[in-house]
Amino acid sequence: MEIGSGVRIGPFEVFAPLQPATSMIRQYGEHHFPGRLIVVEGIDGSGKSTQLSLLHKWLESKGYGVVFSEWNSSPLVKDTTKYGKKKKMLTPATFSLIHSTDFADRTERSILPLLKAGAVVLCDRYIYTAFARDVARGMDREWVRDLYGFAVQPAIAFYFRVPLETAIHRLLDGRDGFKFYEAGMDLNLSDDSVESFRLFQGRILAEYEKMIPEFGLTVIDATLPIETQQSQVRHIVRTHLDHAKELRVRP
Amino acid sequence: MRTTYGKSLPSTRLDNLGGKLIVIEGTDGAGRSTQIDLLKPWLEELGHAVVDTGMTRSPLAGDGIRRAKEGNNLGRVTQSLFYATDFVDRLENEIVPALRAGFIVLTDRYIYSLMARAIVRGMDPHWIRSIYSVALKPDAVFYLRLGIDQLLPRVIFTRGFDYWESGMDLYPGHDMYDSFCNYQAALLAEFDRLSSEFNFQLVDAARDAKTVCEQLKENILQLLEKDSRKSFMAKVYDESAARTLREVRERPVFDTRVEHPVGVVPGLAPAVARATNGNGHYAFHQK
Repeated sequence: MEIGSGVRIGPFEVFAPLQPATSMIRQYGEHHFPGRLIVVEGIDGSGKSTQLSLLHKWLESKGYGVVFSEWNSSPLVKDTTKYGKKKKMLTPATFSLIHSTDFADRTERSILPLLKAGAVVLCDRYIYTAFARDVARGMDREWVRDLYGFAVQPAIAFYFRVPLETAIHRLLDGRDGFKFYEAGMDLNLSDDSVESFRLFQGRILAEYEKMIPEFGLTVIDATLPIETQQSQVRHIVRTHLDHAKELRVRP
Repeated sequence: MRTTYGKSLPSTRLDNLGGKLIVIEGTDGAGRSTQIDLLKPWLEELGHAVVDTGMTRSPLAGDGIRRAKEGNNLGRVTQSLFYATDFVDRLENEIVPALRAGFIVLTDRYIYSLMARAIVRGMDPHWIRSIYSVALKPDAVFYLRLGIDQLLPRVIFTRGFDYWESGMDLYPGHDMYDSFCNYQAALLAEFDRLSSEFNFQLVDAARDAKTVCEQLKENILQLLEKDSRKSFMAKVYDESAARTLREVRERPVFDTRVEHPVGVVPGLAPAVARATNGNGHYAFHQK
């Protein structure tokens, strides 16, 4: 820290804490940490969480220090999100902002320090979820991307691509109906939650398709058998970890 | 029509936001809330409906921010975004509806304080400006400026040092005094930079509260007068329109004083009936 950066106010000299040029926002994106960040993306019912948990077990068995972080799980923020959802008081803008706040806390508290410490960090959903959902809710595409400018760039971002009807079929098998915001009911697309879900997730799928080239997402065909998908996932992950032997906690 | 700083929100229409958005800005201890407490009853006495708002007062995020600040683990990016959530919740659910209803909105701090705090904490100025590009441009920003040497005694001898106001999250190794001076000085420097960018009206807050208030009242009156001249003219137009309508209504359709060519009169009657909002039956009865 530099004392006396030239700014003087009254008798006091300002030592600027951080110069804007070396701002944390840009640091996050550009830094090369010893750890590896691997994220999975896709609509609900794409099977991404199943795949991530299989990957998690495999990496642990190989001796890596693995940490898992879930979307919308910050201990500091999630109560506010839950409250806003329960009271249906979230607009597209506050929905977007409160999720970015949650993500910021997880980034600052766990993702970033763990990557610095050399862990393999697995994220179930990442910034692409926010990009897809918020834009589907009518937020400005560029504004949302700027909002997440502090995010660490993942080593691999898997996108589990699945047709809408397959996903709906899988989801409705396990439960009846959808939650208010999950189905995009706040957008008044339809009074019927299944129909609203279909319309809303359709928009989200369209956003994901656009992001594949934009962010270089790694597409996995999520209609294939679970085992086939997992062996593809492990193959790709292995190539990224080959040069990172030091990440192993145990030999 | 009102404008924002660049981006608009999907749920907010910008037309018909008639009220006035007046911002009171300044660092901690500059006397912002004292002034708002004086201005609100004064404006109400003048016949204006007033809503006042300020940081962390949103139903959505206010409690969450307070809880987060009690602990010692609120990160800088998280903090900036939590405040942005609080701001946008109030913008959409409080400020915009009040302006639409013709209220004067007095806000204790606005996006400028939030930007200054974030920038001092090392956030990218472009990043934070982009987030707040959805904010409405206010009608006036009064910047209560207080030098740090005047600020210090006010804080020390009234409420004492506060962890966040002293920027202790930024300078953990220092004592509260050193930290406070450095943090507040950095904030002041940032405020001064924002002042020219966003056209703040500078108010010397070192003077006593009454004098400061007089200056604010004068400036606010000017702002409102500009507006009331417009609304006075609108009223004049309205009155002259009503007079015309009354004259039309009172004028007998079959006016014996005016020599109508016979063929024109029947055609005129329905037009008058429409002009008097369907109440034109008298025209026929008068005969």
